[in-house]
Amino acid sequence: MSIKVMVVDDSPFSRMMIGEALVGAGYEVVGEADSLESLIETYNNCKPDVVTMDIAMPGADGFECSRELRLNDPKAKIILVSSMKDEESEAEAKRIGVSGYVQKPVDGETLINVIKNVMSPDALFEQLLERGLETFKEALAQNVTRMAKTPVTFTPIESVDTPYISQGITTVIGIIGQSTGSMIMDLSVQSAEKITEAMLRRPSKNRDEVLAMVAELANIIAGIACSMLNKKDKSFALRVSPPSLFHGNTAEIVSPSVKIQRALAETDFGSIFLGVGFKKGSKLWM
Amino acid sequence: MDVKVINPILAAFAEILPQIGFQKVEKKNISLVGSTFNYDGVLINLAVVGSIKGVILIGMDIDSAKRFASQMMMGMEVTDFDALAQSAVSEMGNMVCANACTQFSKIGIDGLDISPPTIMISQGGQATLSVPQTVVIHFLVDSIEIKVYVGLAS
Repeated sequence: MSIKVMVVDDSPFSRMMIGEALVGAGYEVVGEADSLESLIETYNNCKPDVVTMDIAMPGADGFECSRELRLNDPKAKIILVSSMKDEESEAEAKRIGVSGYVQKPVDGETLINVIKNVMSPDALFEQLLERGLETFKEALAQNVTRMAKTPVTFTPIESVDTPYISQGITTVIGIIGQSTGSMIMDLSVQSAEKITEAMLRRPSKNRDEVLAMVAELANIIAGIACSMLNKKDKSFALRVSPPSLFHGNTAEIVSPSVKIQRALAETDFGSIFLGVGFKKGSKLWM
Repeated sequence: MDVKVINPILAAFAEILPQIGFQKVEKKNISLVGSTFNYDGVLINLAVVGSIKGVILIGMDIDSAKRFASQMMMGMEVTDFDALAQSAVSEMGNMVCANACTQFSKIGIDGLDISPPTIMISQGGQATLSVPQTVVIHFLVDSIEIKVYVGLAS
């Protein structure tokens, strides 16, 4: 059965463009509305699976219409389709409970992707779980090889739920997006010193230099891995936090709410532990 | 660091902790440390991404963490800082920081998101953040000492 979509936009041209993209992808446009006046009645009559919603409309805008629609049906799945896309609009959309946000001019493929993901958010999360660790491994291998001129191979390690004990320097980077998660990178002080030396072509002057190198390396790996994933599917919309570094005495690392998938990278300078985990999200922002 | 980032975090602690079984949330004092500081016990790392970025870390010694988890679990005995206790305190971190994002939006800092918590457990551990200065808020929560390290920048 095809997915039923209702298009809310005050511009007949926009409704036609969005409608054609939807029909071309095999979806059914079951209703159209151009204002708050006809919105609820049309929605209740045509019972769409998803509503695309313009923001700038005369009278009640897309936010107000979305609010009314969610009051009428708290399960309504709304995708904002608008040329306006700034932090304030996104924050407002999130507060209302909008499921997705696509910028105009609408790229048909992008819109279809967001609708698919809104209809089955689990599928997107499964993809992330499937591709996540492999992508981070690829980013680590590429960048450690490029920056420190050492080959990288991976030894499989079981992703068991036992706590991990740090080898010396741990970096934790938070990942935000359609799903949230963490990347944990851990290596011994000796390995970090050797990698720093290989990168600087001289021994490190002090611990701060080594820590700065580790933070930068982790930052690059996480940033590149997230960009690679976003390129595969924009709906992931992953962004990274600045790194937190933990060092000093031995530490145990636990991630109670996220299952961390693990890999161990072997280099000429020692091993680098890589842990990546994601938690299911529900919003899609393009 | 702009001091206005502190109030939403204070407000979040004051709002959330009474909802999870604590009576008295007292802010003792606020201090500044550099980007590196020492910790003993438990440190819950929650990253923040949005118009301001960085990390909020919640620290307590192991004994305090066990007492904290016990009180969250309605007085259940907590002899070890085990998986259940770890899950309890990390959930507290998650709730407080999610609420802090709501408090931030009230002062016009919108669209913040937080990462899932990661817990570090160490004696004589050190943390280094990517900000030049870290604000440390000392709380006394029903006589349990908590230190909250705020390393946020725009």
